[in-house]
Order: sequence, then structure tokens, then C-alpha cells
Amino acid sequence: MRNLSSARSLLRAVWTRRALHSTAYRHTALDNSHVASSSSTVNPDEIAHFSRLSSLWWDERGEFGMLHKMNPVRTQFVQEKLVEMKYEDGHESFDEQRVLEGLNVLDVGCGGGLLSESLTRLGANTLGIDASLSNIAIASLHASSDPALSFSSNSLPHSNDTAISHKGKGKVTYEHTSVEELLARNGPNSFDVVCSMEVLEHVDNPRGFLHSCAALVKPGGHLFLSTIARTPLAYLLTIFTAEKLLRFVEPGTHTYSKYINPSELISFFHHYRAPSPSNTSTKSSTESTSQPWISRLVAGRPLRVEAETRGMIYVPWNGEWVLGPHNEPLTEACNYLFWVRKPLQ
Amino acid sequence: MLPLLRSTKALKPQRCLAVSPKRFSHSISDHCDIVIVGGGPAGLALATALGSCRNIQASLRVVLVEASDLSKVKQWSLPEGYSNRVSSITNASRGFLQDIGAWPMVEVSRTGPVEEIQVWDGVSDARITFSASEMLPAQSTVELSRLTENLNLQRALLHRLSSLGAVELVDRVKVQSIIQENTEGSTWPLVHLSDGRVIRTRLLVGADGPNSPVRTYAGIKSYGWAYDTHAIVGTLYHAPRGPYSSPNTTAYQRFLPTGPIAFLPLSETASSLVWSTKPPLAAALKAVDPSVLAAMINAAFRLPEVSMRYLHSRIVEAQERGSPITLDELREEIAFRERSHAIDSHSAYSSLVVQQDTSGIPPEGADGLPPLVTSIQPGTIASFPLRFSHAESYIGEGAGARTVLVGDAAHTTHPLAGQGLNMGLADVRALADCISQAVSRGLDLGSYTALLPYSRNRYLENHKMLAAVDKLHKLYSTTAEPVVWARSVGLEVINELDTIKTALMMSAGSRTQTNAGQLSWGLAAKGVESVARSIGSARSFGEGIAGMASAGLQQLARQITNPRQ
Repeated sequence: MRNLSSARSLLRAVWTRRALHSTAYRHTALDNSHVASSSSTVNPDEIAHFSRLSSLWWDERGEFGMLHKMNPVRTQFVQEKLVEMKYEDGHESFDEQRVLEGLNVLDVGCGGGLLSESLTRLGANTLGIDASLSNIAIASLHASSDPALSFSSNSLPHSNDTAISHKGKGKVTYEHTSVEELLARNGPNSFDVVCSMEVLEHVDNPRGFLHSCAALVKPGGHLFLSTIARTPLAYLLTIFTAEKLLRFVEPGTHTYSKYINPSELISFFHHYRAPSPSNTSTKSSTESTSQPWISRLVAGRPLRVEAETRGMIYVPWNGEWVLGPHNEPLTEACNYLFWVRKPLQ
Repeated sequence: MLPLLRSTKALKPQRCLAVSPKRFSHSISDHCDIVIVGGGPAGLALATALGSCRNIQASLRVVLVEASDLSKVKQWSLPEGYSNRVSSITNASRGFLQDIGAWPMVEVSRTGPVEEIQVWDGVSDARITFSASEMLPAQSTVELSRLTENLNLQRALLHRLSSLGAVELVDRVKVQSIIQENTEGSTWPLVHLSDGRVIRTRLLVGADGPNSPVRTYAGIKSYGWAYDTHAIVGTLYHAPRGPYSSPNTTAYQRFLPTGPIAFLPLSETASSLVWSTKPPLAAALKAVDPSVLAAMINAAFRLPEVSMRYLHSRIVEAQERGSPITLDELREEIAFRERSHAIDSHSAYSSLVVQQDTSGIPPEGADGLPPLVTSIQPGTIASFPLRFSHAESYIGEGAGARTVLVGDAAHTTHPLAGQGLNMGLADVRALADCISQAVSRGLDLGSYTALLPYSRNRYLENHKMLAAVDKLHKLYSTTAEPVVWARSVGLEVINELDTIKTALMMSAGSRTQTNAGQLSWGLAAKGVESVARSIGSARSFGEGIAGMASAGLQQLARQITNPRQ
């Protein structure tokens, strides 16, 4: 019983920590006492902790059950959009199933690694980052049991002496860092695809966060986001029903005022200017003169080759999420996905 | 190569994140995506379905483990006689086998088309006839199902598998134990084989029959009970049908209170028997001379129920006394019974004619009865107990995670509807689709989330079918007069309503098209309208046990094909 409650409180800490991507680290007492400052030496006590947490992140019928069910829909959106744009770019015959193969993908706020693992199985070279060290440990622990993910932690040599059966080429790596630190270290234009799913509603400074994510995308690359719209319906479903009434997720997981509407994301990228190559500082990016990611709006909606929003709808009687239809703003009143492409220039 | 590897390893820092996996434990000899335990029809069909699926072929490693020698099945010599284990493959199942490329490998000359099914009440003689020729003109096939030896099907699947080459078959090897990997965060099962190998697998499929060891490992309880019934099977020989009779393409089933007896056509002169009856009687029938059994089979389709009851007790008593009844004694008994029922020795209902004269015009009612059995293929008489069982879940969780059940491992049923294997094949199809879908979305196909669609697709469908068969079994086990009357009225009303019957047949898997479900619902609705017009029929149709009989049959028929597939 005690173990369960301590795991729960640690979990709450994890959620809170997820909100801190773009701000300075505010280490809680819990972090200081349990998480070693260096990722290289982790003691057995930690393993016990992480294992308990891991069973929560990967308990498909528990706290993160809804997220597990949502995951295939997010992957579907990524795949469909990449396929669509590949045709748009003039490619005529390619294997749609293998559209992610060989791409460098960044998963910002990877949590337990749900999306990172899926994208890796589809052939992507995925880097999952999270501001929470415990999340990274959980994701690493889980990925290490799956030979198809070619998981290697930075410090662990990838062993080839067992007959590993996977035929995919993807590889997953996890790192305890923030998107800002990664940008400072790797520089802009590093990834073909940047994903940040169910993170935006947890960050304190969404504009800064979006700037950093956008800067990491290569020209012609893709940015995928998913979040929750700030509507009464969203309040009713994600806070009142999911947290208070049915306790699908821990109360306090969501904060209504942090929800972001599709129109706000569209407007952000309508005005957003990529930083000029000569100036890599993210702070001055808005002063750049390069073309906006969304060049024009038609009745408030972007062109489908530049950006798109799609609703994600939970169908309770089927117990599954479905991707909403194209161009149907009503379906985007709660959970929705957003895609935008970085212009080549 | 090897020294290079070694030196690389030596150069790597020994700094180690404590999440170091123990998967490199020396005992694990193999990593695998899917291990299928069981090389019966369901296991082999699953292997074939997975092997013929493009995105699975390309990305997954699939192993099938079977304890017996599969090469014997593959090299099965197609002997002159028939195997006693025969299944009715519905058109829907055949469509699936066609899709995975296995049906073309089946030796079709050894299969028997069923164009008509006649089912009647052993007590009241109320009868229902399903006939392919009554179906819509658009129907491309004239058969309702095809009787196929299980060996014939397994052989075809094995040939298809070796042409695909995508699945590794490990036969003559037993699963000795299954243990969950003892590593933090891992739920992967380790399958210990009798050849010393230990396979670590992402997903473990139990296609290992009613006493499934995989189900035991998964900790899934199975709900059910034994029917107080054993099924006797065997291959029967008879004279060919005459020029004035329809060919031997009709399946017959008579519901006796002891259980149904079914006659399933394999060729013009051979048919398969499935006789479900009380265990002591089954034991006695197995012990008597085959000629006595043949005479009993003929009588069981013809004599009134009261006389069958008498013959049953005679046989069991003689068996208990240690002096089994002889053919002459039995013929004498039957002759006496026929005289007292005023059955003329030339009528179709007489079972005493030794050599049936099939050249002339057959006696009245001959088409309503199977041909007289003249002999039984030696060595084909066998019996087995019947059980109703349904696993509480098809997907393992927790300590039994990464497991899934198909076919008899998930459910067993009474053979009266011939649906056991067809349900298994429908499971296999749904599971293969589910796995393919999971692969295309990059899901971990051993995870609960990835497998859930399979369970959603099949669990309720199977449960409805199992329940319908169970109800029919119970309904026809009684001789209580009001029940017999009601079930007979129910059956006869359905038999008179062609639209409903057509709808029933189509949903009973006799159509291969995927929209069969919708179409048949439409027809059923039309049928209900025509019932409503006749108040008398409507009353008996909808009420009490009559309703149960018809609802049971409809349920049964409707659940066989899943319109969503």
C-alpha cells in the first residue's frame, strides 16, 4: 500500500516535471533525494523505484491506458501525413509502410516512450527526450527488453552476441534533457521529424517551447503536435469526466488555462519566421525575414500542404480513439493533432 | 570478424546504467516475435495467414512448435479410405483459406460438397431443410459448406507454408515449460523446448487445444462443463444414390433425446458419422461388431424414438452382461419394432434391406433419409467426450502477459452445428488481421492494446455461437411433450418461411461475400414482416420455447459469419 502511494506521488511529480520543459529546472525534494545528478550511476534502489513506475507507464489498463489507446492514432496521423507529403513532393512509387524508415525523429516529452517505440518499430531513428530523469529511466528500461528497438543507452554497448531477430532498421535512444538544451547543443535543423505529443498543454511558456521545437526541424521537415483545445467540451471531457468523475487520470493532470486552441497554433505558425541561418539564437527568430510556415489562410484554415489539424475522438462504446475527418473543426474541440511543415527556404 | 567484435567490446566503457537488461542471459537461445504452440488446423492456419501477410513476412520472425511429427501429415499419402476426423468448412472459412493460398492445395476430390442440410426432431419428426438451390440467383456457389478431412486441410496448410517459407516449423518438439522473464520491466515469456532451446518471444499464441498449456501459463480461467455426451465418429460406406435420387450431397442430422446423429457426405459411396450420445451407450456401440453398429446407425435415422430407446437399453444391457448383441439378434429386434410401427419392409424407413436397390424409382421419403450404411471402414470408429468451454479472456495479462488464445484453446463446443473449426478459423483470421494492423502502426504486437481488437472482434461472436449451440443441445435433449410440441412448431414455422430460411443459410457461413451479414439481416426483416401478416404463425414463432428454438437457430446461423470482416 505504501509502495503504491509513493509510486503515485512520484508519478504526480513526473507529470509536474513534464511541464517544465521550457523553463529552468525546478528540482523537487523528491528529485534530489532519489535521482542521482549523473545519469551514469544509478543505484539498485532506483531500479526498484523505476520498475514500479514503469509498471504504471506501461500498465496499459491503468493510469496511462487512454494514452496507450491514443498512440496508434497519433502514429497513423504521422504516417499518413508523411505519405501524403511524399506524394506531394513528386515521389510516385514507394512503400507507404516504410515512409518512416531512416528518418531522424525527435520525440519531445517522450514519457515512458510510447510514441518513440512505435516510430522506431516503423524504421525511424528516434531520440526521445524528457525533462524527467525517471521517465527516461522508465523508457530505457522498457525499450531494453525489446530487441526490435535496437535500444542502447548512451553508456551501454550494444551487444550483438545474441541472435537478435528484428529485421527493422530503427533505433531508439533516450536522453534526459530539455528541448532548449538539445537545441543549444545540436544546433537547429537537426531532425526530419519533431513530435511532441500531449506535452504542449503542460508547458509554462508554450511560445518559447514551440520556437525551440520548430528550430530543430530541418528545412522541408515536419513538426507534429497534439494537445487539447480550450473549449467547454474539453473541460467537460478531460477534466470533469476523465479526472474528477471517472478518475481515468490523476486529478491535477490537466490545467484548463494551459489548453491551446487549433486556431492559436495556426496563427502562431502563420506569423512564425524561421531563424535565419546566420543567427542560430532562438530568441531573435521572429526577426528573421524568411517565409512563414503557413503562407496564407483560407477561411481561417491553412492549406493542407502547409499545415493541418485533425481531431482525435474517443469512442467509448468501441473503447478506442479514432482520427477525425479532414477539415472538420467541430471534431477538434477537444483532443487534436497538428502538423506543420518547415519551408525549404 | 570475431576478434574485431571482441576488441570493440573491450574498448567500450564498462560504465553501466543500472537498467542493464538481463536478456543476454546465456540460457536464451532465440528471440522471436511470435511463437505459435500447436500444429493443428488453427495453429497451421494462423502460421499460414501470418506468413502470407506482406508486412508481417517482412518484419517478424514467426515460429510454430508442434509435439507430433508434421512431416507425416505433410506426406500423408491420400489413402483410399477416409480419415475419421472430418470438418464442415463453411463458405466463409473456405474464402479465408482461399485468401491465404491454402485452399488450392487441398485435395478437392476428397472433399464432399453439402448442397442441402436436413435436420429433424427425433421425437416429433418436425423437419427443417436448408438447400443451396433455394438461395439467391446471385449466389455463385451451389454449396453450403464442404466436408473436408482435417488431415487434408492440415496437409494443404503445410504445403502452403513451405512454399511461403516465412514461418519456421519446429516439430517433434514439446513445450516443456513457459516462464516469464525475470527481468525488471520485462513481461516476455521464455518458452523452454524439449530440444533444450529457450525461445524468448514477444507474443505467445495458444493454438494448443482444449487443455491448452499456454492458457494455463497465462492464468486464464476457462468456464464450462462437460456434456454428459460422447461423440462417436467413423467413416461409413453405402451404395451410391440411384438415378432418380439426388446425389449424395445432403447432410442429415436427427436430434434424438440422447443426442444428435449426423450423416455427412464425403463422396457418392462414403460418408462420415458423428453420433453424439450418452457415454455408456457410446462405449457399448464402440464395443459391438461394426456390422451391428452399422445396423444401429441405419435404425437411428429411421426408427421412432421409443424403439430407439428400447434398442439402446438392449445394447447397453447386453454389454453389461458381457455378451454383446449379435447382428442377427439386433435384426430380429428391429424387424419386430418395424412390424409394430407398421413400417413396410420396402419403405424408405425400413433399415433391414441388405442390398438397397437403387436402380429404380426410390420409395417415398427416401430423399429425407441418408442411404443405408452397408459397412464401416475398419479402424475409423473412435469416440471422444464433448465439452462446453469458453476462456474468460483471450488475452493474458500481468504474469501471463503477451499471450493470446485461438481455436479450441479458447473455446470448445458441441459438434452438432459443425462450427468448432469454423470458429477457430474465424479467430485466426481476426488475429492475423489484428497483428498486421498492429505492425502497420508500429505497435508492440504482444501488448494488450495491440491485441484488444482481436478479442473485441471474436469474444462476443464466439460466445453467442457457443450459447446458441448449447441451447439447441439442451432443447433437443428433452422428451417433455410441451417442449417437443413447441420446438417442433418453431422449426416447422421457420421451414415454411423461405425468406427467413434464406437469410439463415446465408449467415450460416454459406456465402463468401463480406456483405452477407447485411444482406441476410435485410432478408430476415422481410421474413419477420411476412410472419407478422399471419398472426397464428407469429404467435407460435415468438413465444416461449418455440421462440427459443427459432431464436437459437437464427442466432447460430447468424453468428457464423461476421459481417465486419
